[in-house]
Amino acid sequence: MLHLGPGLNDARKRVLAWIVELVLGGCVLGTAFAERPPHRTNEANAGKSKAAESNVTFNRDIAPIIFTSCASCHRPGEAAPFSLLTYEDVKRHARQIAEVTRTRNMPPWLPEPQELKFADEMRLSETQIDLIQKWMDQGAAEGDLADRPAQPKFTEGWRLGTPDLVLKAEQPLILPPEGTDTYWNFVFSLPIEKTRWVRAVEIRPGDKRYVHHANILVDREEQSRRREAAPGAGFGGMEIRLESQVFDPDSHLLFWKPGTVPYIEPEGMELRLDKGTDLVLNTHLQPSGKTEVIQPSIGLYFASHPATKVPMLLQLENDAKLDIPAGQNDFLLTDHFTLPVDVDLLAIYPHAHYLGKDIQAFAVLPDGTRKTLIHIPRWNLNWQAVYRYAQPVLLPQGTTVSLRYVYDNSEENPLNPNHPPARVKSGNRSSDEMCHLWLQVLPVNFDPTQGDPRMLLQEALALHNLEKNPADFEAHYNLAAMLQAKGRLDRAIEQYEAALRLRPNDAVANNAMASALLAVGRPDEAAPYLETALKARPDYFDAHYNLGNALASKSDFEGASKQFLLALEARPSDANAEASLGSALAEMGKFAEAKSHFEHALQIDPGNTLAKENLTELQREMNQR
Amino acid sequence: MGNFLSLFIGSLLASVFVAGLPLAAAQTQQTAFDLDGRAVDPLAQGTNRIVVLMFLRSDCPISSRYAPVIQQISARYQHDTSFFLVYPDKNQSPQSIRNYLAEYGYALPALRDPEHVLVKQAHAEITPEAAVFDLERKLVYHGRIDNWYVEFGSSRPAPTTHELSDAIQAAMKGKPVAKNAVKGVGCYISDLD
Repeated sequence: MLHLGPGLNDARKRVLAWIVELVLGGCVLGTAFAERPPHRTNEANAGKSKAAESNVTFNRDIAPIIFTSCASCHRPGEAAPFSLLTYEDVKRHARQIAEVTRTRNMPPWLPEPQELKFADEMRLSETQIDLIQKWMDQGAAEGDLADRPAQPKFTEGWRLGTPDLVLKAEQPLILPPEGTDTYWNFVFSLPIEKTRWVRAVEIRPGDKRYVHHANILVDREEQSRRREAAPGAGFGGMEIRLESQVFDPDSHLLFWKPGTVPYIEPEGMELRLDKGTDLVLNTHLQPSGKTEVIQPSIGLYFASHPATKVPMLLQLENDAKLDIPAGQNDFLLTDHFTLPVDVDLLAIYPHAHYLGKDIQAFAVLPDGTRKTLIHIPRWNLNWQAVYRYAQPVLLPQGTTVSLRYVYDNSEENPLNPNHPPARVKSGNRSSDEMCHLWLQVLPVNFDPTQGDPRMLLQEALALHNLEKNPADFEAHYNLAAMLQAKGRLDRAIEQYEAALRLRPNDAVANNAMASALLAVGRPDEAAPYLETALKARPDYFDAHYNLGNALASKSDFEGASKQFLLALEARPSDANAEASLGSALAEMGKFAEAKSHFEHALQIDPGNTLAKENLTELQREMNQR
Repeated sequence: MGNFLSLFIGSLLASVFVAGLPLAAAQTQQTAFDLDGRAVDPLAQGTNRIVVLMFLRSDCPISSRYAPVIQQISARYQHDTSFFLVYPDKNQSPQSIRNYLAEYGYALPALRDPEHVLVKQAHAEITPEAAVFDLERKLVYHGRIDNWYVEFGSSRPAPTTHELSDAIQAAMKGKPVAKNAVKGVGCYISDLD
């Protein structure tokens, strides 16, 4: 007799992670200075200046500041609306520069100085700001040519050289001349045949003057394509959310803002991209006064080796309590999460919309030490950013990480989307609010034999979220997935049940519930969940595949083969589905057909065990007859 | 007649410049110019319409973002007002202004004000700022168009006050303008000196 092989009884354990979602936001102005200092440091220049004793001149005192802190954006082809490369350029904006540096609107850098340093800090010193002020007051003199530093040299085109793969948006977005800000998602399918590891991603967001931010989301489930009206058309939306059904939490912050220098991932922390993965570029665009054509591209730089260290994004949030009365100018939200494992904190990404006022995150270590992780006293969505620490910050197990956000929903907040102010709750539209904080962490000092520390983090986070909000669907789902991964199937089933009470028709949760039931040998109970999943999403590969398995385990091979065929319609070259279809057909005595499906499975994946074993078995069976 | 005179002045200025004398020598002849180089005094037009001067810099992003708003306001009051776009940058060529107008879809008359004659008459400091002259050519309002921008890098989702429209309406009715000067947010004209 043919055995059904691992594929048929091993339901696809669609584990975890609803995690992910990234964000975008913002609006306003197109002015942007800044970037990474090319050669010298700001302080060194300020210190060298003899401005205190004599007149301030451009060549001696101001050019070093401008060239270091402004010119990388204020040059042709970059995000800033005008260049600041010559005395004439700077003189034409002298008073404006004095004003925007004094108010610290430029260079755009929101965090206060703190003990834990960020990489690529763009903050001017008080000395530098005073110098610019003085220069303007004294008449903005050019000074002695001999004092002028060399003009900065910038790399043209791709900053990291020619990428290994360039993806260009299939269709541009036509940005209307006026109106509110536009949030648009471009979907890029990856023309790769095998898994690649990416050490750097360079985002070229189109005309940089009109793109305020861009974020890349990794879509491993083809979810974004389904939102496009036509392939390549893209789709609107400020905050998008992607589900990940295998335990593969998003772990990289792929962010662009004006002045961003492409980030090269640390050795060993490369990003995995598989065949069939899509990249989604979530962009925030601002009308310019005329029609603009925005067609972004993405350059990928591959590594020759797979990643050895996998970080994870932890999200603190308190959206459930986000309900700000109209007129309140000091609405406070907090969230506190205690780390179950040691981690290195690599980067931080706070996110609120237009009512955010004072944004803070801090950590209290087990020994009681309090460290400010970030403090933005004057939040501005327009300049939101990912902040990477200059050095990884070790946060030992037992550290409590907290967010503390204050919102201003009064008339005094000019960015208030409502005039007059109205009650605001959490939501994905820019007129809704958010209370999110992402921490990119790398678990350290763990015992690899005790399992994946990211799972401990995920489980602790799900439990924490359920404490805050027992009606948190995603937390129930994630907790169930973690329990399922640990083999705690009965408890997993309880949590899936709780999730399904909140969203009875959710395709993914129904499928996951069924996979847990199949795993404990309850196929009769699994089938109705799969039918619900398929009603919600008729082309859901996993549900067809799992239903095929459920039916096969009840010896309904005809029903099973139908489901495997439907699965293959949803995902035409899946070796497991081909092999399973072959197995079901073989059970029905349709040997010739079965053989061709086993062979097809092996064409797709020569290592497919189920197809290999069953093909051998089938040939033996056919020879006996 | 007026046209001949201004052409003459125009060529005189050019020859003074070629001779290498400082431009200041011609200051008594200060005027604004249209894009063909003819001297134009927008305030010397017939007195049956309110005159609105709109000061712009093409290298000022806030100026540019206001293009649709300026066109909507000028269209709304086209029967009662004469709108002029005024470019105070002495280094900007008529051709580059023409290109800019085409890019942003402007059909309004544009003037160059290299000597800041109109800037002074209108007390303009920032681009974009507007100046409204009533039928008697008295400056009744100068300053921002509305309160869309709060400061650099910060704009409201939509303006909640509309100073320019209010001023035009008041001038149309011959009533005093409530606020006759409100500083704008944008780029300083004095940076062009």
